[in-house]
Amino acid sequence: MSRLVLYMSMSLDGFIAGPGDTKENPLGTEGDRLHEWLGHGGGDVGGFRPGDEPGRTVFDELMSTGAVVTGRRTGEFVDYWGGDHHDGVPIFVPTHRAPAGPLPGDVRFVADGIASCVAQAKTAAGDRDVLLHGAYTAQECLRARVLDVLEIQLVPLLLGQGRRLFDGLGPEHIELERVRALESPAALHLRYEVRYP
Amino acid sequence: MSAPIRLYMSMSLDGFIAGPDDRTGQELGRDGGRLFNWLDDRMSDGPSGQVYREALATGAVISGRRTFELAGRWQGDHHDGVPILVLTHHVDDGDVPPGSAQFVTDVADCAERARAGAGDRAVMMHGAGAAQALLRAGLLDEMEIHLVQVLLGGGRRLFDALGPDHTELELVRVLEARDVTHLRYRVRRRP
Repeated sequence: MSRLVLYMSMSLDGFIAGPGDTKENPLGTEGDRLHEWLGHGGGDVGGFRPGDEPGRTVFDELMSTGAVVTGRRTGEFVDYWGGDHHDGVPIFVPTHRAPAGPLPGDVRFVADGIASCVAQAKTAAGDRDVLLHGAYTAQECLRARVLDVLEIQLVPLLLGQGRRLFDGLGPEHIELERVRALESPAALHLRYEVRYP
Repeated sequence: MSAPIRLYMSMSLDGFIAGPDDRTGQELGRDGGRLFNWLDDRMSDGPSGQVYREALATGAVISGRRTFELAGRWQGDHHDGVPILVLTHHVDDGDVPPGSAQFVTDVADCAERARAGAGDRAVMMHGAGAAQALLRAGLLDEMEIHLVQVLLGGGRRLFDALGPDHTELELVRVLEARDVTHLRYRVRRRP
């Protein structure tokens, strides 16, 4: 069964981007340090491949997902990866207002809610998992109880300031279960399944 | 190298060390007790027992004032009567802390006295505010983070407003235990 898996690189103090993140500088000041575990590829996603075994394991799983859900902010920062994140799988974007102009590749805007967006992505992915990117969208998914797995690349770094992954989730606890921890000097890859009450 | 000053803190995956509204009578904040369930295994032979025993083998304690007061000043004895250095901004006239506790207002002085008191043993440190003060002063050597598998959603953060200088860490140990992952980091000195 397809699961929605959040992939995010986070500093130990909880940041996924440095301050001043803009389209010109999507990861903010010093934020590129968070993505060093990916290795140094080229301009597109496929150009990367981590230099160590734990990183490659996670990266290969990420690249074998059957659909992508991304927040609009993240998507626009990277021009929706030119319409192709990997292998031409469809990219779903939850939004309140779809853009007027056409977009390259298979980018689909979904305006009838996050749960519907995730359901459509899972249908498209078949028996493969769905990759989720974006802090705000991850929080929306948690609140709607549709996020199944967190794959956190915990980077050994205190960034000090920037944009947080978990912010304003609200007062309800969400229990997790650690199902894997892969250790490397570049990042600790922690995989948690979400246990909704 | 002398024995390290090591921060010990339980933290949720979303970065909280206490629930919302932590105060006297509700020391851990609302539902903050969730972060300490792993201590049920403190007497076990497993990793949580190991980490607990290591913490109690430290030779001195540094605590923030807030933590010290919330803990009822530990009645002057955190463990084995080792020195307790309480980092604070202000000491009231005539306020003498109990037992082996003493107030210190200077962060460097605090670290130095703790190291001297601990001898060849490590120094245990508690408290978010004090930890940030030692980090900024470049005096914190290690962190043992008990990363609890829960999203608390709100409360008091361990790392807040550290400022623009980032700090590189080195992950030196991962112990997977029931409900928690014990992460030990070494703080890398800025060049």
